[in-house]
Amino acid sequence: MANYVGKNIPRNDGFDKATGLGVFTHDVTMPHMLFAKVLRSPHAHARVISIDTSAAEALPGVKAVCTYQNTTKKRFNASTAAMITIPCDEPVRDQLVFTDRPLYIGDEIAAVAAETGEIAAKAVKLIKVEYEILPAVYDPLEALKLDAPKVQPEFQSEMFGAPICMDDDPTQLIHPKYNNICGKVIEFGIGDIAQGFKEAEVIVEVDLQLPRVKQCQMETHAAIASYKANGILEVISTTQTPHPTKMILAYALDLPESKVRVSNPPYVGGGFGVRIGMSGKAEVIAAVLSMKALRPVKLVYTREEDFTASDTRHGGYLLCKLGAKYDGTFVAIDTTAWLNTGAYATFGVELPGVLGACGTAGAYRIPNLHYKGFPVYTNQQTAGAFRGFGTPQGTAIVEAAVDKMACALQMDPLELRKKNTSKPEDRGFFPFPIGSVGVNECIDKAAAAIGWNEKRGRNQSGHIRRGVGLAIATHVSNAAPFCVDYDSIVLWIEQDGSLHISSGIPEIGPGSTTGVIQVACDLVGVPFATTVMQFGDTASSPFDIGSHASRTIYTVSQVLAEVAPKLRQSIFEYAAAHLEVSAEQLDMVDGIISGGGKEITLKELAYQAHLNGKQFLVSGNKVPPNSLPWCAQAAEVEVDMELGLIKVLKIVAAHDVGKAVNPRLCEGQIEGAALMGVGYALKEEMVYEVGTGFYNNGLHRYMLATANDRPEIVPILVESNDPAGVFGMKGLGEVGLNAILPAIFSAVEDAVGVRFNVAPITPSRFLAGMKPFA
Amino acid sequence: MEKLNVTVNGQLMSVDVNPAIRLVDFLRGQLLLTGTKTGCGKGECGACTVIMNGKSVTSCLIPVMRAEGAVIETIEGLAKGETLHPLQEEFIDKGAIQCGFCTPGMIMSAKALLDKDDNPSSEAVREALSGNICRCTGYVKIEEAVMAAAAKMRKGG
Repeated sequence: MANYVGKNIPRNDGFDKATGLGVFTHDVTMPHMLFAKVLRSPHAHARVISIDTSAAEALPGVKAVCTYQNTTKKRFNASTAAMITIPCDEPVRDQLVFTDRPLYIGDEIAAVAAETGEIAAKAVKLIKVEYEILPAVYDPLEALKLDAPKVQPEFQSEMFGAPICMDDDPTQLIHPKYNNICGKVIEFGIGDIAQGFKEAEVIVEVDLQLPRVKQCQMETHAAIASYKANGILEVISTTQTPHPTKMILAYALDLPESKVRVSNPPYVGGGFGVRIGMSGKAEVIAAVLSMKALRPVKLVYTREEDFTASDTRHGGYLLCKLGAKYDGTFVAIDTTAWLNTGAYATFGVELPGVLGACGTAGAYRIPNLHYKGFPVYTNQQTAGAFRGFGTPQGTAIVEAAVDKMACALQMDPLELRKKNTSKPEDRGFFPFPIGSVGVNECIDKAAAAIGWNEKRGRNQSGHIRRGVGLAIATHVSNAAPFCVDYDSIVLWIEQDGSLHISSGIPEIGPGSTTGVIQVACDLVGVPFATTVMQFGDTASSPFDIGSHASRTIYTVSQVLAEVAPKLRQSIFEYAAAHLEVSAEQLDMVDGIISGGGKEITLKELAYQAHLNGKQFLVSGNKVPPNSLPWCAQAAEVEVDMELGLIKVLKIVAAHDVGKAVNPRLCEGQIEGAALMGVGYALKEEMVYEVGTGFYNNGLHRYMLATANDRPEIVPILVESNDPAGVFGMKGLGEVGLNAILPAIFSAVEDAVGVRFNVAPITPSRFLAGMKPFA
Repeated sequence: MEKLNVTVNGQLMSVDVNPAIRLVDFLRGQLLLTGTKTGCGKGECGACTVIMNGKSVTSCLIPVMRAEGAVIETIEGLAKGETLHPLQEEFIDKGAIQCGFCTPGMIMSAKALLDKDDNPSSEAVREALSGNICRCTGYVKIEEAVMAAAAKMRKGG
């Protein structure tokens, strides 16, 4: 059985990345290449009255100037929502390459391609635009009002108010009218929520305000598009979904998908959800410029553009009511989320659904559940996908409600959680068996490692106080069956017996390609050292939906588990004739075929096959099953009551990963997500200033944690051996962020006796929040 | 164009450069040493860190002519033939690399420290790396890798 799965095999791209020899999109140059610069709207909502590009076009070195006047007016959705939405839902296609009615500060008005970046930048400044400024709205609760300015009047969907497919009684839903709803209000439930609250003996309510935060992947969005007059468009970019991005480009530009190639070069400097689909709009802007200039065009977003003109996490307001019996049994939960979608949809419709499904209906067995999520257009930059995809927001409010319930019932918050966590036989909201559930083991291990029994409830006074908190979360192992999710792969044996894997997944950092090779080598029975994987290129691999939804190793492994036996079978049939034994007698481990007293290396057999004109080759594709990953995350904080400073001393993150394919890679995901969660709770916040846009237009003003700021982080791996996962594995990439914020808020509450309901808890918020209790 | 005399990764060169560009543009654009990355262009992320005259610097903030007469080390100069530098080995071995975009700058900051002090405290390591942003790892395995490389260097590895 497994030779490689479960081992800390160093990642296969380590050499490239440690030597600086690995190529990223920023590093690519092409013959005859031009450089692009974008003109962005300085107004949050305006109409372009006139635009004069003549001076820009006359500047020597300028080769193409594109505006809404000379480019396609076909609307698209820059995210993969455009390509993965399952009927009866319709994707909201509300974006243009360039607009004459900018909807946020940063919206694309025009772009220039020139011989140098300096010339392009100069040319952009020569474009004269006259704007009529229109009234704007920035807050989702304001935007919902009927007299608020309409951000996207043509996309306030006709479908607004319709229930989503899963709802079992659509007739009862009659919604009040709201303004600026993106797509539709997401509403679903199970059981009977009114009856559930009637049965409840204790009811608590909590509210929470969450900020926009930014992915801050280290490589800013970039694309090099090369369109030739033969109709072929080749794009090298930072996308985390090459195949769907190819589909979006082909759709937006009316090209056959066969004539569009999207690839990574092959490395991508992070993603965290920000480029599920296009990288901002880098691919399509570079493409239209290249189609005009008939030369390769490179567009690299500045860090400011990346910050202010590409998707963020959704901020917004949440409200949750939780009902329980006196013995702590949860009976009803009702949650509402009002989310700031921003100017365009991207994942605006999908994300509130995941917030409800995984964030509010995921972790606990609650028979009566109701959820309503409002995606609200505003005149701010678009919010889209970011690690966790709504689950962190849902988890933050539900875990606050659970802590309040524990307080109301005077129960230990961990006992209350363990009593109510989902069981393997539960379905809850999910249309699939939820799989193995190791969450209570996670709770026990995290509690022990943080010192829960000794440290919780220390009732301190004085100006330095410490507290501990714990929260739990789940997520998914891929996007099926909520969205289109499948993977196709081709496997073949090279003429010297090496295994070649061709898959459309990208490598954006987690080590997906290393993990996939580990799984493939065990399933096929060949050595890791000689196995290679082709990835991140639509021209050399069949379809894959991309690296997101914690799915990559999980889903590719599902397909491998289908096709690897077929590859082995074809090898054994050939070897049987060669060795004069029956195929059923044969086995192959690490490239050595043996059985019936005979043995041959795959190397030798593959060459014999080659001499006879035979190659071992299989392909397949599959929609994966799904199962829920789990975690319990605990935090210890130290609070300076006078300065309002909250320091996280330690994070313990215990994760049910099903089976750790590569424990070190798993730890890397957990540690990175944990520090991201610390930022979400205490530091990171996109602050909007009316008239100028987001204050945080760069890293200096966003205050990411550095090596100096990090707490001790203790990852704990729990292996519950999921029945649906290959080798028992589950997804992991996102869940690590989901419970950190409520764990820290709980720890602060433990230290100072106040539960904060606005994130992040900055020193000024802390001091203001403590004033009433002084 | 101005004449620039500079030593890059052990090679003394005398080249014509546009004096208006930054050191990072010279390294990436003219010498094609693209291992040095640009993450912000404002000295805030550390991805462009190189070693100049023994000190780690953010090359996006340095006008190229400031490199006149300087000795510059970039990530491409670390390996000796096929033998990786202990920092490179340990970054690979300890899982300190994820997306890899911050890695060259991170390794150069660490090298500037270890070149002066091959037995640093973990506080000194954190301080030395505090100008380099990594969004993937939480820095845990990066610190482990630097400490392991220091140990290896003390043993002469």
